[in-house]
Amino acid sequence: MLKDKIEKYLLSVQKPSRYIGGECGSVIKDKSKVDVRFAFCFPDSYDIGMSHLGMKILYSLINERENYWCERVFAPWEDFEAIMRENDIPLYALESLDPVKEFDFVGFTMQYELSYTNVLNMLDLAGIPVWAKDRGEELSPIVVAGGPCVCNPEPLADFFDIIILGEGEEVNLEIMDLYHEFKRKGAKRSEFLRAVSQIKGAYVPSLYDVEYNADNTVKAVVPKGNAPAVVTKRYIKDMDSVYYPENFVVPFTDIVHNRVSVEVLRGCIRGCRFCQAGFIYRPFREKSTLNICKQSKVLCENTGYDELSLCSLSTSDHSDINNMLSNLIDYTEGEHINLALPSLRIDNFSEELLEKVKKVRKSGLTFAPEAGTQRLRDVINKNVTEEEIMNTCRIAFEGGYSTVKLYFMMGLPTETDEDIVGIAELAQRIVDMYYTIENRPKGRGVQVSISTATFVPKPFTPFQFEAQDTKEEIERKQKLLIDSIKTKKIKVSWHNSDVSLLEAVLAKGDRRLSEVIFAAWKKGCKFDSWGEHFKFDKWVEAFEECGISPAFYAHRFREYDEILPWDHINYYVSKNFLINEDKTARMAKTTPNCRQKCSACGVVKETGVRCFD
Amino acid sequence: MIKVRTVFRKTGRAKYISHLDLNRFMLRAFRRTGLPIWYTEGYNPHPYIAFALALSLGYESDCEIMDFNLNSEVDFDEIVSKLNAVMPEGIEFISAFAPVNKITAIARSEFSVKMFCDDTQKLMKDFSDFLQRDSIIVEKKTKKGMSEIDLKPSVETSELVCDDSCVSFNVILPAGTQTNYNPSLLIDAFKNVINYPIDMVKICRNSIISDNGEKFL
Repeated sequence: MLKDKIEKYLLSVQKPSRYIGGECGSVIKDKSKVDVRFAFCFPDSYDIGMSHLGMKILYSLINERENYWCERVFAPWEDFEAIMRENDIPLYALESLDPVKEFDFVGFTMQYELSYTNVLNMLDLAGIPVWAKDRGEELSPIVVAGGPCVCNPEPLADFFDIIILGEGEEVNLEIMDLYHEFKRKGAKRSEFLRAVSQIKGAYVPSLYDVEYNADNTVKAVVPKGNAPAVVTKRYIKDMDSVYYPENFVVPFTDIVHNRVSVEVLRGCIRGCRFCQAGFIYRPFREKSTLNICKQSKVLCENTGYDELSLCSLSTSDHSDINNMLSNLIDYTEGEHINLALPSLRIDNFSEELLEKVKKVRKSGLTFAPEAGTQRLRDVINKNVTEEEIMNTCRIAFEGGYSTVKLYFMMGLPTETDEDIVGIAELAQRIVDMYYTIENRPKGRGVQVSISTATFVPKPFTPFQFEAQDTKEEIERKQKLLIDSIKTKKIKVSWHNSDVSLLEAVLAKGDRRLSEVIFAAWKKGCKFDSWGEHFKFDKWVEAFEECGISPAFYAHRFREYDEILPWDHINYYVSKNFLINEDKTARMAKTTPNCRQKCSACGVVKETGVRCFD
Repeated sequence: MIKVRTVFRKTGRAKYISHLDLNRFMLRAFRRTGLPIWYTEGYNPHPYIAFALALSLGYESDCEIMDFNLNSEVDFDEIVSKLNAVMPEGIEFISAFAPVNKITAIARSEFSVKMFCDDTQKLMKDFSDFLQRDSIIVEKKTKKGMSEIDLKPSVETSELVCDDSCVSFNVILPAGTQTNYNPSLLIDAFKNVINYPIDMVKICRNSIISDNGEKFL
């Protein structure tokens, strides 16, 4: 039995409880009574994957069905991977401890470009061919993927049998139902894949041929047989009737986000032009306060967690935010539960609510102005004014805070040196303002931390056409920023720009990238998102060997009439809208948020659903 | 405020839950039982729970002790059944009662040890010889850094039993608030003197002994 073999080595690895399952809330079924088994794989370590809300939702959703069984799989850390390879322990799922290879579905959630090599490594550990074309005609295992990164599925297209576009609550079960039917009649893999391509939201990459122009741009994506020419994402119409779990798997070991998460809304009204999530999760949909409170209570009771967090792209944009928070705080206070409120704007709260929120907010204060000048904030449509930033900082300082963290991006379209210097100047004005406050924290100096990321253009955003700055240009701007700071009260940090380059290439790539990902993995790349594991030199070698230039994907402005690798994928936001938004950005003009005025992004036209009455 | 002592088993998959994680897990478990657990009254109120002895990662046990306080009286059987209703595979509460003995009275623990390897006859002979030594010097991490100690005077072992797969024995070692020696100290010292590997060692705490020589529970 695999379990005995695993246990023999478990005490020689770090945090062994990650590899043995048995947590409260994990679902155990009798496999002889199960028709379809789904291995839900998170291509990163247990500690990261167990924090992911989407997995919790889809895990419970599948397990609600008596004859389907969903189990969890994570990437083993290197110490355990070495033991697994040495002792022929295949990748296994945490509930049954059965090999992943025996499952009907092996599904990966793609949350981050730098986890792509982990997918290949996990498939290899499972003993499943990494290339979809090598999996033969046997029906199982069907290797599927979903998540935000696959909105441009092309760089990963050759590794997956099916790529699921959009939200999974409905389509996952539809695909499993169809599979169940084909399994009963003993169908071949190709028969099932042809049939599944007719389900809305299910993209079968092997049913499409990609043709290229002489200049390496995409010429055409041609569907085979009756596969749809355009594949459209799925979304859930009503957040109040959609399934939400009543229990979570509660890990024994401490993980990144070890708490109850309740989703309060999907989509975002803001339309920041760099933000992929702001476009791919449209339309904007809210969950009612009643449901949010009910789900919070049920989950806290069933899991025993003493921390509750609200999850969304922008919780403050919930139309009933004051009432909702007020109710939640009343509940959590009485039950000794900490309420975590990430990404919350506090500038428009009532005095009374502010007092309540102050009591529960212990975490640091963070803002994301994203750009240093109002002109550039207008370009990116980050509708935050300096007055608002100052006002919120003032409220926070008066409430006892003395440290602020500010997030910025470098290399944004139209950016000039003035915008970089503007970052330092904004931080300086916050420092100066602190010392004008009479009731500021006594005996403490102010600390403003600036964290800068390199802008990464992403598909389905108005900036999908834009080029990323080269490393040399980013380094020059970083130096300029450092030179513009005159006080030790301001600290600057930044992300590795090699990482940002790879993100851009993998986000905006086409099918030829799969050879590069494969080559990089063969050279030992995995856990690329972990600084200590990131081997950029190996990636450079992989690009060279495959004859592929990263600059072609990252540093090139793409003309509006160029066929983009993801143009056959429909996320409801129209390309014309994105082109117009990019043009508006270049004029430094803003677009009102969706609640103020519908900008006709295409979602309403395509779905027939109005976001607001 | 009512003081309660409980005894639980920790076996199977649950042996991989570390002491720190177990503590955190039990706090969550209490919230799910609905038992009227008593919270500390300081700046950061939290349920008060205390484990008599820490159990090393990977050890099983038949006799772990957890003390806590309740705000109001609850039938002891009900405490056991409510706790068991929220336990994962491998943790099982056996009893709940009002504590009589003080935790500080704990002096020693008894463990059963199973050492697995190919040639168990040889292993038994080597281990038997090892135990006959005049002294068994091991390195132990203390608060002041590494220090050398002689286990020999503190170790009491039962007769060794050998079958095809393993060598088994019971061992009694000091435990409690002052001195804690793990069976692993002994086994690791033994591993250092033999030139072949032991495949696997299974260790389970069987009982806890008071300073007067009687069973603590």
